[in-house]
Amino acid sequence: MAATTPKKTPVADPKNGEAAPEKKPVAQLEEDDEFEDFPIEDWSEEETQIPGGNTHLWEESWDDDDTNEDFAVQLREELKKLSQK
Amino acid sequence: MSAFQAGIESNFCTEVNTALRNRDANKLQSILLLEPPFPPVYQQLIDSLKKKFPGNDSTAEKRLEDVVKRLVTEAGEGEDDDGRPIASWSPMVTFLVGWMAFIRDINIENLLETYERLSDLQQKANSALQHPTKGILMLPTVVGYAKVFSRVAIGLDKHPELIQHLVAASVTDEGHRDTLPEKAANVVRQAFIICLNDRNTAPGGIKAGKPDGKKVGIYKMANICLRILFQADKLESCQTIFDNIYNSSPPLSIYPASERVTYLYYLGRWHFAETNFYEAQLALQEAYDHSPSSPSCKSQRRLILIYLIASNILLGRFPSTAIYTLPEAHDLRARFEPLTRAIRRGDLETFRRITDLDLSHEHAAWFIHYRIFYQLGNYCEVYVWRSLFRKVFLLSGQQGATERSAPTIDLHAVLVAFQYFERRAHMTPGMAHADAGPGRRHITFVLQDFTPPPSSGYIDPDFDGVDGLTPYIKTPDILEIESICGSLVMQGFLNGFISHKSKRFAITGARKAGSALLAGFPNIWEVISKRKSQDVHGWRKQALSDTGGGGGVIRLSGARPAGS
Repeated sequence: MAATTPKKTPVADPKNGEAAPEKKPVAQLEEDDEFEDFPIEDWSEEETQIPGGNTHLWEESWDDDDTNEDFAVQLREELKKLSQK
Repeated sequence: MSAFQAGIESNFCTEVNTALRNRDANKLQSILLLEPPFPPVYQQLIDSLKKKFPGNDSTAEKRLEDVVKRLVTEAGEGEDDDGRPIASWSPMVTFLVGWMAFIRDINIENLLETYERLSDLQQKANSALQHPTKGILMLPTVVGYAKVFSRVAIGLDKHPELIQHLVAASVTDEGHRDTLPEKAANVVRQAFIICLNDRNTAPGGIKAGKPDGKKVGIYKMANICLRILFQADKLESCQTIFDNIYNSSPPLSIYPASERVTYLYYLGRWHFAETNFYEAQLALQEAYDHSPSSPSCKSQRRLILIYLIASNILLGRFPSTAIYTLPEAHDLRARFEPLTRAIRRGDLETFRRITDLDLSHEHAAWFIHYRIFYQLGNYCEVYVWRSLFRKVFLLSGQQGATERSAPTIDLHAVLVAFQYFERRAHMTPGMAHADAGPGRRHITFVLQDFTPPPSSGYIDPDFDGVDGLTPYIKTPDILEIESICGSLVMQGFLNGFISHKSKRFAITGARKAGSALLAGFPNIWEVISKRKSQDVHGWRKQALSDTGGGGGVIRLSGARPAGS
């Protein structure tokens, strides 16, 4: 199971014969992943409210129609080569 | 030795008996302390036990048992208020003797010994809990002990050098090796099962909208088991707990909020690990919605939110900017946004860098730490494909020459796009920026978990170092793109058909939908959520129809006589 794969330390992998780019500092992992006991046993609905409410937390439509930013321009250039063949 | 001579031991037994007679479970728990430092009167008890009932005296236990039996009369046979006989409660006597021996001998310097003594005492407490009518008086004590026991087990698991010699000796007949935390979880699980299967309750285990009898302890015990198994990374051992609860627990909604939220967190994470991301999302969203917003609970909210965000991304639903402004979401935008941006754009190159199996990306270690790295890498790739098809359509698609012809995408154009980004993904960022290098590899190649040779091509390890070999370099070809296209159609993420002959993908229903983009590229979240049910295995939402819990209802109306 993927979730239980032992932790590995990041390894620099030289690509294309080049030296690996200078290694970025390893992510800060001091965060504990143990789910602690709640300090209280029970609470009311009101105590779970967050500012702005729990609506609009997720975006379901996120398709990117921008054809003028760098990424799209780059791709358009590459696609042009096809029509030139 | 008479009870009188036992002095302070007698006093404790009398106290315990009074608590039992008054049906005061909390008082009982307050007497049966477990952890040092002990108050002075307990120290006197310990000193007296060491003197009069020392551990190296083979008669000590039997003599203590006599004292307990004589004074804790509530553990003997009796009658209830209606004159019905009540069975004797000898496991309670055994437990009380065990408790006194435990506080006499405890040496917290030795963690392993403490664990073993605690395990023994927990099992004795579990047996006392089993009594059909009086056992419930032990519930707070059992819960309290299990919490201490789980802490010690988790602590030991983090010091493997202390338990190395136990590992070899614990292989079962089937060759399965139960680790120490699994064994500890099994001990706590006994108490969980006793709570779950309590038949001495109101119908369905519910009384006045609250759990009745020992069923009140179901989620308390389950959560302790789950904590041990999660901390020891034994998620596969959690399944039976979720099965048991799903099959015979009263509904989760009647339990206190802390138990509900904690349980749903573990359930959601388990579904996540099982790649049931929709179920994970449902459980985690409920846990998140019902966790307290007070700053003191920020760490719990943050943990829930990390897995909730990961589940949603895996279902094609991205966090809004509103989420990232929450106090518990501190720093999460920097982790998740590069990934969602790559998926949005169809930026296969960046996606490959973020999810590179050599863990070279700056956030890879963080994703690994939370055990969400491989899921995001494997399952989101499909969404990048969809976005890249879409981007190619936006840049070079044909709207259809006549009224009746469908909008199409040239699969060769898609191939060019895939090859372009796969090629760039194998360059160093510097090289990719300059777009200079010749390194080309194939998608499936990238997914191999090994360190590629510097040439970026593949040489079988058996032939590594042999002179004159050309590394194997495979680039995506048109067949591969056709296959990816077919896979996207089958999953419902592209709507149309492939013309194998002309190597084009044609979008269907464009005129009806009003746009080729809307018709050809269905919304991922809608596609997935439409085909999923709201039922989550392990989450008991409605009360079961049978009474007392356990066992399904067998309907005999349709049964035929034997032999017919």
